Amino acid sequence: MKIKDLIKIPKVLGAGLVSDDGFIIDGQATYEYDTEKLGAIAARVVNRIKKSLDVEGASAIVYTRDNVLFLKEGAEGIIFVICQKDVNVGLVRIRLNKIA
Amino acid sequence: MADELRVDSGALIFATLADVYLSSGMIEEAISILKDGLARNPNYHLAKIILARAYCLKGDCEKAIEAIEPIYDEVKSDESANLCLGHCYFKLGDNEKAKKYYEEALKINAENADAIRALEQLVPKPVVEPEIAAPEVELPAEPRKEEVLQIDEISAVPSAAAPVMEEPEPVEETPEAVIQELPEKTAEVESVPLEALDKPAKRLLDLETVKSVVISTKDGLLIKHYGKAEDDIESICASVAAICLDVDESFRMLKRGGLTRCIIEKSDETLCVMVVGDSLLTVTTKVETKPGLVFIYARKIIEEIEEILG
Repeated sequence: MKIKDLIKIPKVLGAGLVSDDGFIIDGQATYEYDTEKLGAIAARVVNRIKKSLDVEGASAIVYTRDNVLFLKEGAEGIIFVICQKDVNVGLVRIRLNKIA
Repeated sequence: MADELRVDSGALIFATLADVYLSSGMIEEAISILKDGLARNPNYHLAKIILARAYCLKGDCEKAIEAIEPIYDEVKSDESANLCLGHCYFKLGDNEKAKKYYEEALKINAENADAIRALEQLVPKPVVEPEIAAPEVELPAEPRKEEVLQIDEISAVPSAAAPVMEEPEPVEETPEAVIQELPEKTAEVESVPLEALDKPAKRLLDLETVKSVVISTKDGLLIKHYGKAEDDIESICASVAAICLDVDESFRMLKRGGLTRCIIEKSDETLCVMVVGDSLLTVTTKVETKPGLVFIYARKIIEEIEEILG
């Protein structure tokens, strides 16, 4: 399973892989969302979690008023998935864990 | 506009929190949060009054007076401001000014027990002549006079020249004792019954996988903690607040709504964080927890926090 497979999940708006410093390695998103910006956000939040909580492989699910953002640090970098807020969170989480 | 209002109302909650700190005897914490809040909202008079009370309780009467006097014209109708000034001047030995402010407090609320009590110590009561009993019964006049003199001698009132007939135990009501009672009796902000959170928090802690429940401000200051006592509880509050701030700022960049909740998975535990107004509710759980269940159980706490802290 690859990044593009994540996009196929219903209500997923975008997904990508970024390096620790926020450079996009691979990504795809609907026209409303900019993968570069999402990648930068993903790297920023993951780095903050790692630094603040002193953890190695950071993983988070962030709920906002409009979206749900999945973040997971893997061997190749940080994977992010942005979804509509009514997405099936459990399903995306399972698929994301398979990739990372 | 709605956003501005939201930010403003949220910004002012620090005064409520500071009042909670004061009620809990956490004077330094209250002063710190008030100073920080007043730096952002310098015209928030209620916060200045609470700051003055905090200084007064700390014993720093000069600073307490400095906090209120510049805004006295605007807050002169405030009972607790007058009472606080009264206590401060009393402590500093300026009985004239103390009397003036106690009287102001009584003009606002004639039943203010603190002001009445303090004023009684400043202004000696007029001598009350013992009632003349029925002609056939002779009262022992001499012993009563001695008793009155004894009371007068042990009274703490410095200017009490005239003997006082009533209140045989005025010594216990020292200015310190009066001031110690100040936060509970004269609080302008309603006292915050955080105990209401105990029940729903304990229900959450009853879940096997839940380790602790922490309520903090968005700035990372601890409000209340349930569960296992962790050494680094305050650093968890600060870390979670920093993460939430980063997420909020990031999504602002995307012009999307801010953070509502968050699940952070660590190798040894999971943190479920919920944003409740200006507070953060962090539930620390074991890795094998079901976050959905935690969120359902946390709902009751969220309702309580919304009601109490806004």
